[in-house]
Amino acid sequence: MSTDQKQEQEFIQFRYPRQVPYQHSLGYQSKFANGLKQGRILATKCPVCGRCTIPPRIVCPFHHVKQTEWVDQGQRGRLVSAFKINFPMFDPRTRELQSWETPLVAVELEGGASMDGWCSELDTSKLKTGMLLEAVWRPEEERQGRGDDILHWKPVEE
Amino acid sequence: MAERIAIVGVGQTIHKSRRPDVTTAELCAEAVEAALADAQMTMKDIDHVVLGSFEVADGYFNPDKWIIPEIGAVGKAGFEIQNVGTTGGVTAAASFNLAATGMFDAVLCLAWQKMDEAAGAFSRGGGGANEYWMGQFPMSPITNFARRAYSYIDRSGCTEEHIAMVRVKQDQCAMKNPCAQLRLGLTIEKVMNDVLLAWPIRRLHMCPTTAGAAAVIVCPEARAKKVTDKPVWVEDWFTCHQGGALTMAEDPTASTLRYACDVVYKRCGITNPLKEIQAWEVYEPASPAELRWMEEVGICDDYTAWKLFEQGKVGIDKEIPFNPSGGVTATNPIGCTPVVRLVEAALQVRGDAGEHQIPGKIERALATGYGGQGENVIMMLRKTA
Repeated sequence: MSTDQKQEQEFIQFRYPRQVPYQHSLGYQSKFANGLKQGRILATKCPVCGRCTIPPRIVCPFHHVKQTEWVDQGQRGRLVSAFKINFPMFDPRTRELQSWETPLVAVELEGGASMDGWCSELDTSKLKTGMLLEAVWRPEEERQGRGDDILHWKPVEE
Repeated sequence: MAERIAIVGVGQTIHKSRRPDVTTAELCAEAVEAALADAQMTMKDIDHVVLGSFEVADGYFNPDKWIIPEIGAVGKAGFEIQNVGTTGGVTAAASFNLAATGMFDAVLCLAWQKMDEAAGAFSRGGGGANEYWMGQFPMSPITNFARRAYSYIDRSGCTEEHIAMVRVKQDQCAMKNPCAQLRLGLTIEKVMNDVLLAWPIRRLHMCPTTAGAAAVIVCPEARAKKVTDKPVWVEDWFTCHQGGALTMAEDPTASTLRYACDVVYKRCGITNPLKEIQAWEVYEPASPAELRWMEEVGICDDYTAWKLFEQGKVGIDKEIPFNPSGGVTATNPIGCTPVVRLVEAALQVRGDAGEHQIPGKIERALATGYGGQGENVIMMLRKTA
């Protein structure tokens, strides 16, 4: 039967508010999460190419060797990209409202790894590729080893 | 030695935002019936089925258990696979692999997505290669392409207006495709004034959520020649996944499209893609992606595609017939979308695309599937064996 032959109101859509709780193991990434709690950004480093990775990886995806070295990436970095979303977003895992009113940035850290974060400068027209940014941390007692332990990245005068 | 293979039948539903009149299985049956009719075959002629859907967006687990009886394929060899946005691409590639073994006479490739049932699953994509880390940021297909577009504009000198030109071109194509979902009669002004989601991405720039299904029947050479006088040869195919090896924080434009195309072009002996490929159905989840993809498939130099739109060179009857169906920004039943690209590319090769048929002989057509943070599936179709 074609759609036209049927009247839409005859048909019922049944709503399921399904909830599935998960607990994912962080494994080797625990070291990274613990680092965040201490206000440090730690990245794994490939012994072959020297590439530092955030989030950390147990092997280098390009050389498939174990990355045993962890490198402190410092507190500053340069802006790779920035954008701002104009609608609220929720973390579908926790149903928490995510921080969406500040621009999202990718930062290349002093140690060479790149990571995502938020920026304290709300006017995206003032955000330029290559500008220097510094991490602003949540108070230590509030940190949970998550991305938002770094409240935002603040532009630094050069 | 692998058998040469050909597509002998294609089918798709008319894509809509909502289909409360059918279940997922009924929707699939529509596409299967269309493909069988196109091939002048019945389900009796099919000896292997490959099903694909992005399960999280269906909310059904093992939906094949439900769909197999509905399409009349009980007792046949078959399985279901998924790979996010490229699901349809890997479903097609698996079907090609099976047909090329010569073990099966006719393989049915079916993919679907009924996004009116769980579109919320796409409010954000997040997790990807690392659920712990990426899941914390408000990431979604929208932000993925906002980030790509930011870097594209930063590096190329293109403006928001050029991105609007891409959207208008897509819409002009979709207006000629009766299966397309969004057929809106857009103007540059309309697009530029649309709701801003994440600069420079406006609502109209993002692919919609679609209820749709598509199916393709693939046969080895000997069988294909018996079934149809218009076989569409599958010259080559390649699935390429980077699995977030290179994060988008490192390179916001990271994608495997260029790499995957280079592999296929080399194997097919293609040195001038724009000259040797006459039809393109390249999975562009957002208007600005089309600019970068045109460069990555080898149509033009890096960061120059926007100039081709400025010069009015892109369109069904233009120098560059890119996405004549209206593409993914017009129609996106996500897990099925790469099979829609394949169906459209096959119709172009056959000369059966109707009002959105590209004029002239189509010797080669390229269809792709895109997913996640830069995975790509390449499918090269050919008219002559």
